[in-house]
Amino acid sequence: MAKRITIDPITRIEGHLRIDVEVDNYAVSNAWASCTMWRGIEKILRGRDPRDAWLFTQRFCGVCTTVHAMASVRSVEDALKLEIPLNAQYIRNLILIAHALHDHIVHFYQLSALDWVDVLQIPKADPAATSKLAESLSPWTRNSRNELKAAQDRVNAVASSGQLGIFANGYWGHPAMRLSPDVNLLAFSHYVQALEYQRKALQVVGILGGKTPHIQNLTVGGVANAIDLDSPSALGMSQLEMIRTLLEEVVQFVQQVYFVDVCAVAAMYPEWFKIGSGVRNYLAVPDLPLDSQGSSYDLPGGYIRDGNLVDVKKFQTASDPIFRQSVTEDVMHAYYQGDKPLHPWAGETEPAFTGWNGEEKYSWVKAPRFNGEPMQVGPLAQVLIGYAQGHPLTRKYTDLAIEKVAAIGGVRPTPAMLHSTLGRHAARAIRACMLAELAQKHLQLLVDNVAKGDYTVHNQPVMPSHEVEGVGTHEAPRGTLSHWIVIKDEKIKNYQAVVPSTWNASPRDRSGAHGPYEASLLHTPLARPEEPLEVLRTVHSFDPCMACACHAFDPSGRKIGVAKIL
Amino acid sequence: MKRALIGGIGNVLLGDDGIGPYVVRLLDSMYAFDERVDENADENVEIADLGTPALDLTHQIVGLHALILVDSVASDGVGDDPAGTILLFRKEDILRETSTQRLDPHSPALSECLMTAAMLGDSPEHVLLVGIVGKCYEPGDPLTAAVRESVGDAIDAILQELHRLGFAFRKKTTCDEPGIWWSDRKVQLFPEQRNVMESRD
Repeated sequence: MAKRITIDPITRIEGHLRIDVEVDNYAVSNAWASCTMWRGIEKILRGRDPRDAWLFTQRFCGVCTTVHAMASVRSVEDALKLEIPLNAQYIRNLILIAHALHDHIVHFYQLSALDWVDVLQIPKADPAATSKLAESLSPWTRNSRNELKAAQDRVNAVASSGQLGIFANGYWGHPAMRLSPDVNLLAFSHYVQALEYQRKALQVVGILGGKTPHIQNLTVGGVANAIDLDSPSALGMSQLEMIRTLLEEVVQFVQQVYFVDVCAVAAMYPEWFKIGSGVRNYLAVPDLPLDSQGSSYDLPGGYIRDGNLVDVKKFQTASDPIFRQSVTEDVMHAYYQGDKPLHPWAGETEPAFTGWNGEEKYSWVKAPRFNGEPMQVGPLAQVLIGYAQGHPLTRKYTDLAIEKVAAIGGVRPTPAMLHSTLGRHAARAIRACMLAELAQKHLQLLVDNVAKGDYTVHNQPVMPSHEVEGVGTHEAPRGTLSHWIVIKDEKIKNYQAVVPSTWNASPRDRSGAHGPYEASLLHTPLARPEEPLEVLRTVHSFDPCMACACHAFDPSGRKIGVAKIL
Repeated sequence: MKRALIGGIGNVLLGDDGIGPYVVRLLDSMYAFDERVDENADENVEIADLGTPALDLTHQIVGLHALILVDSVASDGVGDDPAGTILLFRKEDILRETSTQRLDPHSPALSECLMTAAMLGDSPEHVLLVGIVGKCYEPGDPLTAAVRESVGDAIDAILQELHRLGFAFRKKTTCDEPGIWWSDRKVQLFPEQRNVMESRD
């Protein structure tokens, strides 16, 4: 008989994601993804001034604040058909890139690396041998014996204290952990360094955005950065040079460390190219606009159905008519009222909580559908769509990744193998390399444009008196984000945010089709069902984020996440 | 440099969860931290509305001498403390929390961030969490009255900790606009009493 395993991070009010799987003969036979928290923040926006919406939406979520701010101003600009000055586009693009680089680095090292890296093997490593190995993989200058020894000492200090502290929760010694002590040490040393480099990426967001978290420089119609090359208080040469220096360091870390580590993990766990595929419909919107009208972009968008890369469709713009028309949300298995799928502009968010029932309603996440089908979003979707369209930058780093994995492990992955748990990690690293290169490009575009004497950063919005609709999209670190707004009498009449994790953590819809998390877990082998490390590997590969960000310290010592067998 | 950070934590859109940012913004509008107890001391007090930073808190706290956080808390699980009760926690109380499997990067991570800072060898020496028991966390709701009335006591707790650790502060002669932009209510300040009141505009 199938055993049910619940992985539930719930505490009193901050719990977000819960995963239930049924395990039959050491493999997952059924799966449910639920968001355990009510998320009705959009309702607060009704009746407010559309120009203020971004201040509220960037509080939807505590970590991806900037992405919700950006999608919000873009939704109003789309509704008003407002053009954005070039400087503002470049400044926004730099903020989006820097935020994404920060997010991807944190995701791989702080959230998921320890699913693959066994910290308790590190004391057995030989720092000199590890350093030699590292030099064969990458030109990174911080792989010296001393640097690695220092990382090993940190682990030894924690291990010898008798309390594992930050490492208390890993599945150490699990049979699915397979790296050598030296590789474990190398990855851990980069885990420590990642804390430093993700911070540098955030500093770029802070310089341009005024502060972080919660950037201050956005405005409907552009940005509020004063550009003055000679003033220390405005955006001038000294700040641009500071950004250049920070980006150079982050770019090196991404290309010489993060990318290489992901390729090394992939090379050493090649079976994970065959696990965790699930929904093979992919969706991405174009992003990083290169002109005021938003007619050309540095990142391509489109969609793929059923893994068929040959038939990839392209979106021309970030609010492509096909995208605008094709999105609906279904609440058959979500805790909301409603009896038919609704387009976001007509969307409703009326709660109808019933408690968890896998056959009926079981999640606070709605089920978004594109032409009625579930879609996987995120770096994997972006990379596959770009690769299938022959996008040169996507091809460059995807091919580099394939070569690197083959060189380290001897197994040569194909683009088709990217439909997998490892594919999602690889795609995120590929995307990070692309963004790193684009960060430097957009900084140069900004510098060049300002040097021409163009200091314009804002176009004044004019609110129409009749009702208008808009969609603001952003290809965020976790995938396609869209904010949908209806404006009437200069006030917000309706507002819906369809966030990346809504697509990926979607529950079943009325046809019974699984959402991407759920589908990706089916058939996953579990070496020890009581320690479902393999489930975590796949769930973490999506970089889940429940985007509701209610948060209170719970002093009663309740566990923040437990795996229990029912 | 001896640095202190006073951080308000919580989601301002979710009722009482917004009390942390609310308190630190009021503190910032009413007090200045530009004086020195010891003329030669190189010290700095920073105030920040941190929102709900989860793992991103780590880089904010590394290298601090003192960390003071204000956050809404559930009651302590022993007695059912009413809304507005202030509960103080030290580093060891926070580290006693069992953190377990992390499924997403957004769950709160105070103990995890402190442990990470400790692993880096640069954890704040002094940590105080000023917890205010909340009651209602509904989107768009204002602070409940009991929670709002605890603000003066929360500010006192922060100032006492700063005083104990030798950081200087002074009451401003004129309060700045506190910038509680998410509230439809007008915030009225009475600096001479340090009571903070709100009323419908």
